[in-house]
Amino acid sequence: MDELEKLKNELKKVNLEAAKVRDLPPEKRASFGREINAKKTEILEKIEAFEKSLLDKDVEPLDITAWSGVNEKEPEFYRTELGSKHPLMTELDRVAGIYQMMGFDIMESRQLDDEFHMFDSLNFPKEHPARDGYDTFRTEENLIPPAHTSTMQHRVLKKYKHNLAEGKAIAVAVPGRVYRNEDVDATHEHTFYQCEGVYVSSDCTMGQMLGILKEFFEKYYEQELNIRTQPGYFPFTEPSLELLIEKPKNIGGKKGDYLEMLGCGMIHPNVLKMAGIDPAVYHGFAWGGGIDRLVMLKYGLSDVRNFEAGNLNFLREFN
Amino acid sequence: MRISLNWVKKYVNIPISDAELVRLIGARLVEVEEVIDETHKYDNIFVVKVEKAEKIPDTHLTLCQINVGELEIPKVEKNADGLVQVVCGAPNVHAGMLAAWIAPGAVVPASVHEAAPFVIGKRKMLGKFDSNGMLAAMDELDLGDDHEGIVEIDPNMAKPGEAFAEVFDLNDLILDIENKSLTHRPDTFGLIGFAREVAGILGQKFECDYLSEKLPNLPDKKAPVSITITDETICPRYSAVILEKHGEIKKKYLNLQDTLLAKAGMRPIDPIVDATNYLMLLTGQPLHAFDYDKFVKVGGSETPKVIVRLARKGEKLVLLDDEEIELNENDIVITSNDKPVALAGAMGGKSTMIDENTRNILVESATFSLYNLRKTQMSHGIFSEAITRFTKGQPAYQTLPVALKCADMLKDGFAIDAVADEYPDQQSKNVVKITTDEINDLLGTNYQKDLIVNTLSNVEFKVEPDGDTLCITAPSWRTDIHIEEDIIEEIGRLLGFDNIEPVLPLHATAEKNALFELKKYIRDLLSKYGANEVLTYSFVSGNVLEKAGLNTDNSYKIVNSISPDLQFVRQSIMPSLLDKAYLNEKLPVDQFAIFEMNKVYRKDLGMDDENVPQEKISLGFLVAERKNNQTAFYLAKKYVAKLFEELNIEVDYLSVKQNNPEILPFEPKRTAEIWANGEYLGIVGEFKNSVRNNFKLAPFLAGFEIDLLKILNMASLKKTVCFGQKKIEDLTITTDKTYAEALEEVQAKYPNAKIMPGTIYQAEGQKTRNITFHIELML
Repeated sequence: MDELEKLKNELKKVNLEAAKVRDLPPEKRASFGREINAKKTEILEKIEAFEKSLLDKDVEPLDITAWSGVNEKEPEFYRTELGSKHPLMTELDRVAGIYQMMGFDIMESRQLDDEFHMFDSLNFPKEHPARDGYDTFRTEENLIPPAHTSTMQHRVLKKYKHNLAEGKAIAVAVPGRVYRNEDVDATHEHTFYQCEGVYVSSDCTMGQMLGILKEFFEKYYEQELNIRTQPGYFPFTEPSLELLIEKPKNIGGKKGDYLEMLGCGMIHPNVLKMAGIDPAVYHGFAWGGGIDRLVMLKYGLSDVRNFEAGNLNFLREFN
Repeated sequence: MRISLNWVKKYVNIPISDAELVRLIGARLVEVEEVIDETHKYDNIFVVKVEKAEKIPDTHLTLCQINVGELEIPKVEKNADGLVQVVCGAPNVHAGMLAAWIAPGAVVPASVHEAAPFVIGKRKMLGKFDSNGMLAAMDELDLGDDHEGIVEIDPNMAKPGEAFAEVFDLNDLILDIENKSLTHRPDTFGLIGFAREVAGILGQKFECDYLSEKLPNLPDKKAPVSITITDETICPRYSAVILEKHGEIKKKYLNLQDTLLAKAGMRPIDPIVDATNYLMLLTGQPLHAFDYDKFVKVGGSETPKVIVRLARKGEKLVLLDDEEIELNENDIVITSNDKPVALAGAMGGKSTMIDENTRNILVESATFSLYNLRKTQMSHGIFSEAITRFTKGQPAYQTLPVALKCADMLKDGFAIDAVADEYPDQQSKNVVKITTDEINDLLGTNYQKDLIVNTLSNVEFKVEPDGDTLCITAPSWRTDIHIEEDIIEEIGRLLGFDNIEPVLPLHATAEKNALFELKKYIRDLLSKYGANEVLTYSFVSGNVLEKAGLNTDNSYKIVNSISPDLQFVRQSIMPSLLDKAYLNEKLPVDQFAIFEMNKVYRKDLGMDDENVPQEKISLGFLVAERKNNQTAFYLAKKYVAKLFEELNIEVDYLSVKQNNPEILPFEPKRTAEIWANGEYLGIVGEFKNSVRNNFKLAPFLAGFEIDLLKILNMASLKKTVCFGQKKIEDLTITTDKTYAEALEEVQAKYPNAKIMPGTIYQAEGQKTRNITFHIELML
């Protein structure tokens, strides 16, 4: 008799036994009931585990070299109109494309990094409160899913510093996914996308930084824009700024309506030094800003949570 | 932090509109989160004189006749003497006092921000007494918590009929500023420091000698306290002033200091605490007042030593709020002869709390290590105004002057008995040398030397030109100024970054990034064939991993995850796609193909040359249908084959032999490994029934996962274009071999033709199958 039969018989027995509860004096019924139920649960669990183990047994193999099943029609691709690209990825491609046209190499950001790249190499003093502001996640090994794409700055500087020796500038844009340990609501996600820019040369100025950023947003929104700044604070840039743009007309902007787009500044000499670049000879600037909000503004979306929800009713709107 | 613009205006002459000022502060000092408009909060509230006050028998109420001066309020009748009648329930109401009257029709200030603000009217009390408006207490005016009695106003300050807001300077704009935005500028956490920056922004010379004016004379007597700082890095300076009581401080009237506390979001409590809070708001320097007699008692000797040290493991302290905490070794404690009496920078202890019987006070004014206090803040959850300031790193230069200022404020009741000041390593001034060219070269500006010198001098930097070089000494409170870039920032900021001309460096177009282009190509291709790109979280639950047959031990685990759903860094895209497939089948969507290209990490992949986890860029694809009894494998294979065809990569589909975690969710008998040029690229197949069952998915389910970095070097987008006429013939062979083996036979027969698959037919009970091929011949 097979295992399953046996278990089923046992279950029957227990059920029969359970009926005896009526013959017992009332004070003994409760403990008897508990005992029987425990037995029953145990058997049911065994049956379930056994049935599960059977699931993956005796599976019919198939001809993996063929292109259709036996006696089946060859399958067909789904219709083009069902397909869609993720709006965040479409825009990230566009952003990267504009930077590439403007002379920036593209390098994608990591999604699991360490304290050195996330903080130390960026001139964050050890245990400085500025580190708190990033609400980082950490793994058991003290690795960090990065809270900003600046985690790539040190790598960018090292990888491209040969450009400087060749008399060229370092110009790199770093799109990528970042993480912050914060509660999720319609306008906050713990997972989002940023794009970093890094530029180093022997004669770069803050004026050039503002020029590049203005150009980028004008290309992105395909119209002329006003920009504005406010002071910011980042340990890895000095001076540090926040850049605002006047909300473009094509996404419903009115005059005097400014949007905070990104943080930026002149790269701190310590950051250059750490990457082996002489800050007495070279200067740089860097910036980083969110992509999710660009996309939300562009498509008039109100809930950031849709991006990572994987709901096709939402995603198929973007075909 | 809340900044009152009216108070800023006490220190700086503002020649521009408030709106322009707020804009400039935002552009040149710090982002203003919100401007709280209080310019109408106190409308229709007036100073009045209580002329008559008669107790209404058998009640706690008093019938008052008030003098409202020349005021005429609609619907408010004056009696024959020109007085207005108000019923008041406060015990302290008396004839002759000045009070704040909320006239009928006015909104009670405390309720201004509520959904339904409370409008005061005219009422009949006890069925017979008309009461017009009300005489207000501190809480109703939103100036304090006190509801014991009504507010009394100093007759030297105001006359009946004057607007209450005018007298107390309450028509104000309050700037709400995120503390984090000024982490690097401890000096701006005091109103004076904030005002100094405003002057600098406006190009005005800032002048304020608040801390040096009117300082009391120090006693000659030897200090009875000695201060020991065990480690100057935890406490750079500790100043103490001992005050002895000689009389009562009588506080009868509402004053401007009370209103400042209220505007900053604090509350007047008692004269001693109020003085310390007020000074903190002005200077940024927090103070603490100990009952010195209690301090002596705890220490157990007549002249106890004040010892500032790190707490020891296991030490406990009962704080002012009655809570007993266990101290950590990072906490700094103030001790009396080594017995802890306060958690430094955070909160005082219960055992030395001041009360109404306090005769001698020790006023503490010190600075502590922001690193230690930050840990104290986190571990004990204390977020007071004081610790907020300390964790920005308050400078040491002003501890003693602020403590003396406090003594001066309390002089009506207390006299200085002794002063002690421990400042082991006097901070030297920061000096930076820089040329105007260096400043202009980095900013891209053309500022003249005079402008630069004036801009810095306005905010009290000392600038000494030496030829082309400027020798700049930062003021004591600017402990953040160290390098040339710090000076450049000051210039750029104070003169307005917005005045820098944006210019574009010339640049050629950069090379395209191959991986980015590949992903873009795949995205276009798969979506063209009806698939949907999804993005899912990089973190998954242990449950999802296990449901997909994966081992959680191979995932990096997040120790501070938001929820158990986001505890593990994912090893593969597939579990996330299976999870989303369930959501979409439930919607319901009858058929769909979803895919994601993203990074994954697995512990077994080890570390890369930078000693960070080796990363993999994976394309995961999954096809699912709710109502289809055909074989899902072939649809997934068709997609992956199309992809490789378009990328010009010739691949083989081989039976599963690998033993990598990616394969774990798949059923080996219905799954193929994908290989090209002797390299394993990924996998395509159906899932184990148990996995499908765990995710509660319909039977038609298959997917593939491939390694994008591996195919990156093999891919090319060249197209072979074929001219000429073609003819397609069908060939059916009956065989018990696999499709691939049969194909080989056909290829041998037609070496130059393109052979495409047709149907496979197997009659019931038969061992052999009829495999049809479509053969494309060039004519």
